[in-house]
Amino acid sequence: MITTTHPHNARCLDLFKKLSEYIDQELDAATCRQIEQHVKNCPPCQACLETLKTTAGLCHRIEEAPVPTGLSDRLKKMINELTV
Amino acid sequence: MPTSPRKSSTKNNSNDTELVQAIQSGRIDLYQELVSRYERKLYNFGLRMCRNASDAEDLVQDTFLNVFKYLKGFRHEAKFKNWLYKIAASACIKKRRRLKYAPDQTLSLEDFLPGDEAEVAREIPRWTTIPLDQLLNEELAEVLSDTIHTLPEKYRIVAILRDVEGFSTAETAKILDITPANVKVRLHRARLFLRDKLKNYFEHDHNYPST
Ligand SMILES: [Zn+2]
Repeated sequence: MITTTHPHNARCLDLFKKLSEYIDQELDAATCRQIEQHVKNCPPCQACLETLKTTAGLCHRIEEAPVPTGLSDRLKKMINELTV
Repeated sequence: MPTSPRKSSTKNNSNDTELVQAIQSGRIDLYQELVSRYERKLYNFGLRMCRNASDAEDLVQDTFLNVFKYLKGFRHEAKFKNWLYKIAASACIKKRRRLKYAPDQTLSLEDFLPGDEAEVAREIPRWTTIPLDQLLNEELAEVLSDTIHTLPEKYRIVAILRDVEGFSTAETAKILDITPANVKVRLHRARLFLRDKLKNYFEHDHNYPST
């Protein structure tokens, strides 16, 4: 099937709702296969899936900031008072 | 098969259980160790949830104060880490209510339906083909962090717990006292929101590194 009217294609819309669950491996095998089959032949949906996957992956790789020494000191002081 | 962006969250749990049980049985001198284990994680959670560093610091302090207060009643039904985040999350949400912000904006799925010109392009965007570690430079990290801050809170907290912190859908649902279905809906919309901003960034403001 040729998806020239992409946003209005019912199949695309239906799968679009499930892309995050697909990325997170929360769908049953049959639905996964449907998505994989569809995406193979529908570049816009494939682009959608890949950009979404990359977005989630980037979030997962954000680096952590160090704890400011002022905060560590405040916490130590608080704990000393609590545990006396 | 898709690759799951999960972090292992079970690694420290057995250690935590021993440490928490020791504190519960009277070794309150060990509380500092528990705090040291999680201060960095919580501070970063605070930085993403709150608007500024001083609010994040208050969040960490309030959370550890409450954890100390209620630790005796913690029954180890959940992992300690999940219970800790539940306390931190409810502190965030309460704080926001006290400040009487405008109610959370709702993101609707229709706002994100693929359909603009770029999306209908017949090519996979180049930024999705670059290895993530190579893609995520300092500039992009800042863009992403800023964008997370602009998410309405109910989506932001889910995106942070799921995609940044690596909690599962079920864990996130328990931490926030919402249904797993609700977690999924909010996460999908949050990702679509972030994805749109990143797409914009890569289409307009970004120069690819030469490879
Ligand atoms: Zn499609």
